[in-house]
Amino acid sequence: MSIYALQKAIRDVNRDPAKRAAFFESPAAVTAHYALSEAERDALQRRDYATLYAMGVHGLLLRPFSILHSVSEADYLRAIRGRG
Amino acid sequence: MALSFACALGHAPGIVAWREAAPAEQCERLYQAFGQLRTRLEAARLEALVLFTAEHWANFFLDHISPYCIGRAHEFAGPIEPWLKIDKATVKGAPDLAEAILTACHERDIEPGFSYEMHLDHGTMIPLHFLTPAMNLPIVPIVINTLAPPLPTPRRCFLLGHAVGEVVRSDARRIGVIATGGMSHDPGERNHGIIDEAFDRQFLDAMEHADTERLKNYTVAQLRAAGAGAVELLNWIALGGALQGARGEVLAYEPVVPWATGIGAMGFNVVSAS
Repeated sequence: MSIYALQKAIRDVNRDPAKRAAFFESPAAVTAHYALSEAERDALQRRDYATLYAMGVHGLLLRPFSILHSVSEADYLRAIRGRG
Repeated sequence: MALSFACALGHAPGIVAWREAAPAEQCERLYQAFGQLRTRLEAARLEALVLFTAEHWANFFLDHISPYCIGRAHEFAGPIEPWLKIDKATVKGAPDLAEAILTACHERDIEPGFSYEMHLDHGTMIPLHFLTPAMNLPIVPIVINTLAPPLPTPRRCFLLGHAVGEVVRSDARRIGVIATGGMSHDPGERNHGIIDEAFDRQFLDAMEHADTERLKNYTVAQLRAAGAGAVELLNWIALGGALQGARGEVLAYEPVVPWATGIGAMGFNVVSAS
């Protein structure tokens, strides 16, 4: 469980233009730099919002991250509400 | 006494960035209330402004979180959001006032963090945009941790506010104190779009009547139940501590569905209270 590293990766992509561009080009190359579990790495690379949210990523990190990837509000909410 | 102005108001990005998304009459009532606050602020001829405010991962991250952080910079730049529809500006700081607040807090066994470089996001820039559009009033931002649990308790925020109020009252300058943020909203979370209007109105009632016991006895969990963003009402509770019994007046309250938040605007009668 490395929720700190997971949130750090998302925050870096949100805030650092170079990191963002790199993530768009190759999510795997970027996530390799963070001490993530396999499940975390996989969820981040696939931008699996339901899993990322369930893992505990803060909404004010995850929603901006989803906006970068043009996810609508309705789709985002459907994803994070999907699990109990 | 130099507490010359006090108010509390929301800072939802939609107020500026998605103004047209809200029903026109709600928007108009809020803008009118913000205008009233600006008129009062200008009449108070302030020399400095202390803000209990929130930020949204703009400066601080989980590598180091302070329960409260006092901005000691000579100047602050914002907003960091290019989409906010507020021109980028540089606002002067008031480092001597920040230092006086830090010293007074330490003397009262409260040890806030401090920072010589803080970037302002919508949490501070929207209130400044409405209250001091010329961005010409020196500020001391006090950021309360509303992001990473555990959050400071309402009781503790009230004490912080009380210390700030003491400093402001003993300063020769004419100083305003404001709280930003809230009310019920759940940004990025499952209840996004749900606004607990009853909670908001009860909270406003406590602020209006300077019901300090009610304010201090809120729990973080009670605030959190009205949405992850409702914990920004810790800023309002800190203001309640600074007010030392001054009553307030709700100038507007609107649950704005397209902005997914309840927004309050209050002025406080600081002059007659002392």
